Amino acid sequence: MAILELEHLNFHYRTLRGAVRAVDDISFEVEKGHTLAIVGESGCGKTSTAAAILRLLPKNVARYDGIVRLDGKNVMELSDEEFRKTVRWQGISMVFQGAMNALNPTARVGKQVAEPLQIHFDAEKEEAMARASESLRSVGLPEYVERSYPHELSGGMKQRVVIAMALILRPGLVILDEPTSALDVMTQTNIINLLKRLKKEEELSYIFITHDLALASELADEVGIMYAGQIREIGPSEYVYPSPKHPYTKALLKSVPILRSSESPISIPGVPPDLIESPFACRFHPRCSVSFEECGWSAQEFADILERLRASGEDGGVRWGEAEVEDDLTLVLKPEDGMDPVTYRKALEEAFHEQEESTRAFKAVTKVEVRDGGVAVTLHEATTPYMIGEAHRAACLLLRKGGEKDG
Amino acid sequence: MGEPLVSLTGLTKWFEIGGGMFRRPLHVRAVDDVSLVIQRGETLALVGESGSGKTTLGRTILRLLEPTDGEIQFAGKIVTHLKDKDLKWLRRKAQMIPQDPYSSLNPTYPVNKALEEPLVIHGLGNRQERWERILTALDSVHLTPPEFFAHKYPHMLSGGQRQRVVVARAMILDPEFIVADEPVSMLDASVKVSILRILKEIQENLGVGFLHITHDLATAHHFAERIGIMYAGKLVEMGPHESLLTEPLHPYTQALIEAIPDPDPENRFRERPALPGEPPSLVNPPAGCRFHPRCPIAREGLCDVEEPLLRELRPGHFVACHLAE
Ligand SMILES: Nc1ncnc2c1ncn2[C@@H]1O[C@H](COP(=O)(O)OP(=O)(O)OP(=O)(O)O)[C@@H](O)[C@H]1O
Ligand SMILES: Nc1ncnc2c1ncn2[C@@H]1O[C@H](COP(=O)(O)OP(=O)(O)OP(=O)(O)O)[C@@H](O)[C@H]1O
Ligand code: SF4
Ligand SMILES: [Mg+2]
Ligand SMILES: [Mg+2]
Repeated sequence: MAILELEHLNFHYRTLRGAVRAVDDISFEVEKGHTLAIVGESGCGKTSTAAAILRLLPKNVARYDGIVRLDGKNVMELSDEEFRKTVRWQGISMVFQGAMNALNPTARVGKQVAEPLQIHFDAEKEEAMARASESLRSVGLPEYVERSYPHELSGGMKQRVVIAMALILRPGLVILDEPTSALDVMTQTNIINLLKRLKKEEELSYIFITHDLALASELADEVGIMYAGQIREIGPSEYVYPSPKHPYTKALLKSVPILRSSESPISIPGVPPDLIESPFACRFHPRCSVSFEECGWSAQEFADILERLRASGEDGGVRWGEAEVEDDLTLVLKPEDGMDPVTYRKALEEAFHEQEESTRAFKAVTKVEVRDGGVAVTLHEATTPYMIGEAHRAACLLLRKGGEKDG
Repeated sequence: MGEPLVSLTGLTKWFEIGGGMFRRPLHVRAVDDVSLVIQRGETLALVGESGSGKTTLGRTILRLLEPTDGEIQFAGKIVTHLKDKDLKWLRRKAQMIPQDPYSSLNPTYPVNKALEEPLVIHGLGNRQERWERILTALDSVHLTPPEFFAHKYPHMLSGGQRQRVVVARAMILDPEFIVADEPVSMLDASVKVSILRILKEIQENLGVGFLHITHDLATAHHFAERIGIMYAGKLVEMGPHESLLTEPLHPYTQALIEAIPDPDPENRFRERPALPGEPPSLVNPPAGCRFHPRCPIAREGLCDVEEPLLRELRPGHFVACHLAE
């Protein structure tokens, strides 16, 4: 059973340059007792996804909608007050990126761990302290730590404190945002071992956020690969690691230097895109080594192609008429000689299909439908991953076309 | 193999801390008695945990820090205590790519000015010649067309492009030796490898020797000929990358390798062996072998008493451990 389900979650920031689409139509599930690792490069929206789940919103929200179901219940419908009382800490808690460096330097550790209980849940001081001490013990810290100040502790111990804080109300789901990236290899291993042990003993579910594919495999039952605000591939680790399907996942796996392999890592050309003016259609297409032409068409570019083909008489006998660009991915065509729209639609669809061979852009067409006396043509938008196996989805046009190329 | 490019003998750097009028100062023994050589056109990776002395060693070799003891030879010349004009020679021949690409470029300088500065300081070339050297340097780090990038300011560049400018700046004086301090640790996976390839090209095509400082053993394995492992200010093992990874001789190196995962879905079903405890204080390091308090095979009466020296147990493969064989 799923402990958490996201459906079409959107979370955008407002900025002077335009909306930052940090979480763009994301859907996934986390099974009870499982770990979903979310892997992606800096700025792709991992922390924002966590913030959207926990409704931790800054002032400059441009868009926040979708469904977040916790134990089957849509918590997006709760008031802020209810959300704080029932979801945050108790239902889902979070170990924040860099939190160990944000501990209050002037307060003893035990007090800091107990504090949220007193502030948010009106717990008595004594009970809160007892709980804190129990939680600190469960992450393997010795008793004296309760009376220590943060600066007296090593990095690994501070990270354990932060984990103890997240566990204090025994939540079912813990979001771990880069919980070890500031730590040394050996300390990192100790923390990961602790997380493995807690997962097993307490039947915890995790969302494990990291940029490190190797580290992700230390905990992940499922892995989701994020790129430019979207989940591009998601599925059981057993499928994704040995046989990744999305070209980005493949490229990313090949770009990681692996200790026990002599195969040279290969870099991915270019850089991750801007989340304000992301590339059209598949956002990875400018860097993709196997992209077909259809992977990155905007409606305007497509309209230009239609115009060019028409002008040179290569339109296969169908006069497709003047194109009007409606938005990034939609254009509307009007029949020229009063042809009835239904017949026109059919003719267009056949003509487009024929053109697919010679002009790849036509493969980007996903929908041709009658609208307002004309025909609306929708291009591939590549936001929704295709099902490619049991619980394994990837958002690449090549997969929809069934024409996967190796690369 | 000819004369080595860099040769260190017993190089030591201690930092003095906390001294006062009536208090004796303490010493942080950041680098202690390190000996090694680096050949022309070779990369030696220096791997170790935070605080093990990697940056200190790199900066001391370049004479950005005064050595406390030992000797540094560069291109056949003893440079341990060079001064003034002679030191300027070393500053030209040996360069540093610093740990943080974000703070190492002046935000108010366009790329061409950042690259021209070292040329001006060393009085090299006229305007036209300097401009040509700038273009060549940008070209060598694949910032093409170089004329386009020459006029950009740092904020207009991505992290990876910025790091390439830093590499180009290190290259502009045609150095023979470069200390690259974590040159890619701040960069994204997809961009990392392209920088490492560029460094490799420079090493192979121009015969530059590199000391590549990193905490990432996997990167060292793929981009260096030899690897040195540092622990608490000591060089504890050094050898060809293959031999060091397939047959690590020091218990610390063995533990380090065990601790690093490969991407493998099976990992989640088992705990990973890890060392207990933490690296020791460098003010009061453990007697004998500095690793003995955490060492799974330490022998009482030996490891806690006598300091192990580097021994060559395999061809070119050295280890400082009493029990390694
Ligand atoms: N409050 C904000 N206002 C505007 N933009 C923001 C805000 N917070 C984050 N962003 C932008 O949203 C995008 C996603 O940021 P986010 O922090 O979610 O990335 P991330 O994947 O967690 O990156 P990292 O690995 O570096 O932590 C980035 O482009 C970031 O600059
Ligand atoms: N100027 C200084 N004064 C006093 N101690 C110093 C100074 N610089 C470095 N140290 C100490 O020397 C030791 C080695 O530091 P160094 O920066 O060389 O380590 P490192 O291996 O480069 O670590 P990292 O991986 O974190 O960069 C540390 O204990 C550090 O605190
Ligand atoms: S010298 Fe002794 S303590 Fe040091 S690594 Fe070898 S066995 Fe361990
Ligand atoms: Mg983040
Ligand atoms: Mg350093």
